[in-house]
Amino acid sequence: MSDPCHDGDVDLDRVWISVAAQVWRRQPGWLERTAGRLLRSPGLARALLTTPSLLLPWLLTSIAVLAAGAAATTDSRQPLVALLAPAVAAAAIAYCYGPGIDPAWELSCSMAVSDRMVLLTRALAVFGVNAVLGLAASAASAASASGPGSGTAAAVTFGWLIPMTAVCAFALAVATVTRSASAGATAGTGAWLITVLSGRVASGHFAAAATDTVLFLPYLAIGAVCAAVALYATRIPRGTL
Amino acid sequence: MNIEITDLTRRFGRNQAVAGVSLHAGPGVFGLLGPNGAGKTTLLRMMATVIPPTTGRLRLLGRDPGTYGPRREVRRRLGYLPQNLGYYPGFTVAEFVEYFALLKEMPAARVPAAVATAVERVDLGGRARTKLRTLSGGMLRRVGIAQAIVNEPELLLLDEPTAGLDPEQRVRFRALLRELGQRATVVVSTHLVEDVGAACSQVALMDEGKIVFDGTPGELTARGTEQGTGDAPLERGYTAVLAAARA
Repeated sequence: MSDPCHDGDVDLDRVWISVAAQVWRRQPGWLERTAGRLLRSPGLARALLTTPSLLLPWLLTSIAVLAAGAAATTDSRQPLVALLAPAVAAAAIAYCYGPGIDPAWELSCSMAVSDRMVLLTRALAVFGVNAVLGLAASAASAASASGPGSGTAAAVTFGWLIPMTAVCAFALAVATVTRSASAGATAGTGAWLITVLSGRVASGHFAAAATDTVLFLPYLAIGAVCAAVALYATRIPRGTL
Repeated sequence: MNIEITDLTRRFGRNQAVAGVSLHAGPGVFGLLGPNGAGKTTLLRMMATVIPPTTGRLRLLGRDPGTYGPRREVRRRLGYLPQNLGYYPGFTVAEFVEYFALLKEMPAARVPAAVATAVERVDLGGRARTKLRTLSGGMLRRVGIAQAIVNEPELLLLDEPTAGLDPEQRVRFRALLRELGQRATVVVSTHLVEDVGAACSQVALMDEGKIVFDGTPGELTARGTEQGTGDAPLERGYTAVLAAARA
């Protein structure tokens, strides 16, 4: 027979934990909920939203740089957005990678959601966001350059997306090999600067590096090689752990 | 056995941090003692699947963490407190613990109660919604312990867990260790022999990458009855074993 008094007892610890769980729980925003559903992992969604280069201050800075580029494009008639977008994206991609920028990197490396998956998700998201920002800036500069009613959509250029892919892959490869986001950002933006200057010297055209279609195949090859390097650098050797 | 290690080595360039360690441990609290640079942290990082060994065999929770699937399964059941706990200054205590609960792939519905339980177990209930940037070093250490135990791990690896804790907190922490050790394998790397004496059922002593003693705290104490220096019996055992290993 159970004691009716004990049946009526309340486990205060358990009650408090239930209350605390409700009071302390964080309500994820719509973006995190959507990302969690798309990625089928609330942990990966949370990791994605902690990416330094997806936080508001970084995004506002990127928007300001590209807006300045769009304004300068209108004045100078030079496609500065096409030259700025790869550099901005390269820096952002490099800062997806943990060592040196993620304070809890050591801890993250012991988690079930692997650091490699976090890196891949972050890199794709940052690339997508920067591509959208670049396209918006490109559209804005094309609209102001062409004037109203002159078919602005046709004037929007997409060619810089290919060099942007190569520069981003290069920045990511350097960041993962050197285990330093800053090294990756410096290498990515530096390599792009050298490419732009070389293009100008070789062709006399300021935006040759972003618009010359002959370069697209080498850009794609560099992008593929660098992506392979980044994947290799973030692997854990099979069978030796 | 939750930990099965055979001839494990780890090199960093020319430096051999771990030099042929073999170790087996089941449920209970396992103390890992040794001087600075003995290889304790490197051994713990390998057990935490953060770095791979150079050579040797490592099985955790009956699985080989060298392949993706078993490694992921081990990590779900693992708790790890690194020596240097990095933290996100803008996160609150509860947010930080929740973040790592999610990265350990705990079912989302279980996370809020698990976070509350872990935070209460380290006596940070009153600070659950406080930003980490405002906490003292000892409190941050307790936050680190909370994230390590939030998933009720079967294998808990703690690197210098009592660093920065005040004496009262250390006593409470040892009680928590004993409680956790009833169902999980808890490995505690520490310099503090009194922590080992109070909380551990097994102890290993490392020096220059090798295990030079493996036994109970009582057996380590017995090694110091005739030689060794120190104020406490366990300290005399510690110094006697180290002196013998270096002779």
